[in-house]
Amino acid sequence: MAQIFSRRASTSFRVFLVLVPMGLALSGGLAFVWARSDAFWSVGEPEPQPIPFRHSLHSGDLKIDCRYCHTSVERAAHAGMPSAQTCMSCHGQLLAGESALEPIRSSLALGEPIRWTSVSRLPDHVVFHHAAHVTKGVACETCHGRVDQMPRTVKAQTLSMGWCLDCHRDPAPRLRPRDAVLAFGWVGTAPSMSEDVRRAHAAAAPRLTSCNTCHR
Amino acid sequence: MMDRPSPSPDLAALLTRLARETGPRLWRSLEEAADAPEARRLLEAEFPDLASVGAIDRRTWIRLMGASLAAAGLAACDTNDPAQSRPLLSQAGSTPGYTPGVGLTLATSLERDGTGCGVLVTAQEGRPIKVEGNPLHPATRGASDPFLQAEVLTLNDPSRSTHPAERGEARSWADMRAVLRQLRTEAVADGGTGLHLVLPPVASPTLERLAAAARELLPRARWHAYAPILDDQRIAGARLAFGRPLDLVYDLAAADTIVCLGGDLFSTEPGHIRYAADFQARRRTPDRPLPMLVAVEAGLSLVGARADERVVVRPREMEAFVRALAATLGIAGEPPGEAHPAAARIAARLRATGGHGLVTVGREQPAVVHALAAAVNERLGAFGQTVRAIEPVLPAVEGIASITSLADAVAAGTATRVLILGGNPVYDAPADLELASLIRRLPASLHVGCVQDETAACCRWHVPRPHAFESFGDLRAFDGTVGFSQPATVRAAPSLGPEEFLSLLCGLGGQARDVLAQTWRDRWADRFEERFDRALEDGVVPGTASDPVAARVLEQAPRSAPQSTGPGALDIAFVPDPATWDGRYANNGWLQELPRPLSKQVWGNAAMIAPETAARFGLRSQDVVEIASGGRVLSAPVWVQPGHAPDTLTLPLGYGRSRAGALGNGVGFDAYRLRTAEAPWLATGDLRPLGRRERLITTQQHHAMHGRDLVRTVAEDPRPAQQPGEPSPSFYPEKAGQGHAWGMAIDLDACIGCNACVVACQAENNVPVVGPDEAARGREMHWLRIDRYHAGDPSAPKTYFQPVPCMHCETAPCEVVCPVNATVHSSEGLNDMVYNRCIGTRTCSNNCPYKVRRFNFHDNRTGPFSAAGSVLNPQVTARPRGVMEKCTYCIQRIAAARIEARIEDRPVADGEVVTACQQACPTRAISFGDIASEDSAVARQRRSARGYALLGDLNTKPRTTYLARIEPQAPAPGGDPAKDGE
Repeated sequence: MAQIFSRRASTSFRVFLVLVPMGLALSGGLAFVWARSDAFWSVGEPEPQPIPFRHSLHSGDLKIDCRYCHTSVERAAHAGMPSAQTCMSCHGQLLAGESALEPIRSSLALGEPIRWTSVSRLPDHVVFHHAAHVTKGVACETCHGRVDQMPRTVKAQTLSMGWCLDCHRDPAPRLRPRDAVLAFGWVGTAPSMSEDVRRAHAAAAPRLTSCNTCHR
Repeated sequence: MMDRPSPSPDLAALLTRLARETGPRLWRSLEEAADAPEARRLLEAEFPDLASVGAIDRRTWIRLMGASLAAAGLAACDTNDPAQSRPLLSQAGSTPGYTPGVGLTLATSLERDGTGCGVLVTAQEGRPIKVEGNPLHPATRGASDPFLQAEVLTLNDPSRSTHPAERGEARSWADMRAVLRQLRTEAVADGGTGLHLVLPPVASPTLERLAAAARELLPRARWHAYAPILDDQRIAGARLAFGRPLDLVYDLAAADTIVCLGGDLFSTEPGHIRYAADFQARRRTPDRPLPMLVAVEAGLSLVGARADERVVVRPREMEAFVRALAATLGIAGEPPGEAHPAAARIAARLRATGGHGLVTVGREQPAVVHALAAAVNERLGAFGQTVRAIEPVLPAVEGIASITSLADAVAAGTATRVLILGGNPVYDAPADLELASLIRRLPASLHVGCVQDETAACCRWHVPRPHAFESFGDLRAFDGTVGFSQPATVRAAPSLGPEEFLSLLCGLGGQARDVLAQTWRDRWADRFEERFDRALEDGVVPGTASDPVAARVLEQAPRSAPQSTGPGALDIAFVPDPATWDGRYANNGWLQELPRPLSKQVWGNAAMIAPETAARFGLRSQDVVEIASGGRVLSAPVWVQPGHAPDTLTLPLGYGRSRAGALGNGVGFDAYRLRTAEAPWLATGDLRPLGRRERLITTQQHHAMHGRDLVRTVAEDPRPAQQPGEPSPSFYPEKAGQGHAWGMAIDLDACIGCNACVVACQAENNVPVVGPDEAARGREMHWLRIDRYHAGDPSAPKTYFQPVPCMHCETAPCEVVCPVNATVHSSEGLNDMVYNRCIGTRTCSNNCPYKVRRFNFHDNRTGPFSAAGSVLNPQVTARPRGVMEKCTYCIQRIAAARIEARIEDRPVADGEVVTACQQACPTRAISFGDIASEDSAVARQRRSARGYALLGDLNTKPRTTYLARIEPQAPAPGGDPAKDGE
């Protein structure tokens, strides 16, 4: 009877034994890194939008307050998107005939909403409340980045659960005084935050990291 | 169930067995009382139906497991594609007062039996998702009942009609306008000769105004008012007693002795929510002795279950009973031959109570009982104290006479055009009128309704009607208070309400709001706009409650009524169903799957029969019998109902519909087929077993708990029901509590078992409907169930209700067995369920001693029974297949209150978090809050001497605790049952 295995079979098998676990470990490692990379979470990737809106112009150069458009950010879960009427309060005069603004005019005329593509999308199964964060000293910039420097709005952070938990486990270092929440490029620590306030924040961590804080 | 028929519970053996019992013994079903193997199987298996899946071989099992594993990997993938995500929407214009994502709450009124119940509707992005009672409205006072809670599902019923139709074929509105125009022109030309209009009795000032205008325009038109839940005998009774129709409104908060003669003051009579609330408020009054509630009835009702004394009386003997009661109190009239032994005792009790006594009568009782009760109330001096007479809220039209005259007119050929502006008379009118064939024969008939129902099928034309949440209107409550209704959403399709229809008929035209405004502009000359807007905002018009009128009972009145008994051996009583009412809710999945309070039946009805009568006929539950009455026959399955009157069948109306919609068609049997104009509430007949069985689905055995002492009672003095002792040692790690400690206390003394909380929980938490087959397997998904226990003699048992939500145990047995940490403890003591971690091993459910965890065996979000997406609460995750779920203490409401408080930089106040079940409860049986705070309402309840933990000896340290029921006579359930029934 002929040999079933050739002379090199043992060697091949040994190489196989080494390579396969290495390959698995490598792909596992790559997957680990990839899942944490900005590219995986689409950070910095602009999306097609119906109107070439520039935050860098409106918020950065013109210094329009965030709340002029995102009206409910201090009151409700949703920050609120400006209605076409809000846009037209300026653009009724400015660039009134511009073709890029056509979606706004037709929205007003037809009573149809404008459909923007969300860039700061949270994963499924999670709830987020803007007002709860903004009123407690979490700045717009902390999650949305330097919107005032974005010609095209992009996601600034991964918004992954790990990223949220980084802050929920120890919020104090990232909090700002209430009047600096809307500021961009704000530097410095909260001078008003005394040690006991800091401790109170740290003590809130168990509540902030309870599952039901974000998942209901 | 049908494959493994349970042995019939042998009544004699059961009685001997119960006689031997010494301690308190509660039983859920007769099978359990007899300790039948069937009941034992359901108690011992966590998922009883899974045992039957055992026929699977090893290879198939491995194949399935492999496929599941691969599929689980796929299911975990997320495309993360922004194009597929929900877009961000910019509205065209800003709407003042509306913030996207924040629900809008509006006050409106819903109609039941013609009177209004004030509710608050919360609409999310224009979609009504939740109903609560309106605290300003006298009929609800902030509480609700299952029907009010389920109304949002009816609004989203996919079977609702969307377009006009002629002989069942779709027509355009242009065609329909032409038809209406021609109808109107013809009618105006001849003054309405041959025109008959049918409108269910509705206490609406606007409809009354329009009807009056139409009468003026069409003087020869005939008007008919009919609804199947008739008040005819109440009206006739008032005529007998007072000489004219009057409504009686009770004040249970002032009553010391309440005697209910039939009816169900807590679920079927007008004002039932208010009466239940007032009764419990009276029980809570600290410095007065507990009131005495006596129920005299045939079938077991909610009042009967709560009553201190329940007297079982066959319907045909009720009149004799009341005559005896009245005679003992010295009211002239011929006393019956042999008096019921309880009558004299109750009369003595009433006499001792005097003006704080109260006798109430159900609408199904004969007129003479109403008249006698009025005389008794007058003799007691109750008028002005516990009862007041007001001018009738509803037009005093006797429905049977009215609908009979319509049938006669059609048969005689004098009616040529019939407009049915509401209701479903073809389905629910007395069967002997044969209305279906009569209406079919008409050349011109028109039906206005939400659904193309049985009546629409017989009429030539059908016009869709808007739902109450889509239209303007006004409704008077049981006490006369006017409540406004207003739309909470835009109409799903163009439609025409009865107000608009009549307005068009009168040539007044106008939008629904203008039609309503016109009524009130006539009444409010000054400051109209201000008052109108205020009434729309509040939902009620202040100061419109009817003033009491002087009512004197006529001297000779109660004597004049012949005693009539039909030829049959059995009494047949018709009752509105606790889930479908008169049939109008037959297509509502929440209600169909709602365990009926006493039988715990779902998805169907059954003829209720007493255990001893069933034994005499050799019947057990699910046996089909043929019921013959007045030459009509009907086959129906029977349900052996402990506490039911002997030789009596109770037939719930509202089933066996053929055109209710996809869910309601063909469910149950249609008891209207036996109902005649002569005997609308009480017939006599005979039954014959057919020797076959039909599956009845009941949840009474599902989710059974091992252990005794589940329901506790205390005597009148609140001695401790549970000795507070040293905390037992525990192997569970000590959890450091922080901040709030949420807890719930449920007062079993207050719970009347009305089911409002169950539907409220379902609506709030997106609890799915699983359908009859799955429910039969014990897979119903209710997060909150109400366990109903009986104790004592099956012919006159005591009845206890116990709502069981998740206990949120501090040492939760479910948490330690989860392999993936999907159920964990929060810092505030909640037992959280993390849906996206759950892999569906169901171990947690197996380890839960309270049986409160529910598993999604199927994807219940999309299925034949699922609610429309637009009725889902966006604050609560809709759970996918393969995931365990359970009560969360309405975590979304806790979070909302917490966020609100934190935005305003203050602590969460006591009473700020209100769970859905708590908010719906008419008797305020549920309190919720922070048990760590000394003076919170729930902490006070927990400290009560009546407080106890369910299965406390398991040391699970539940956050949900109970308060024992106060039972003056018997110290424990299973004491001596009332023997008055025989």
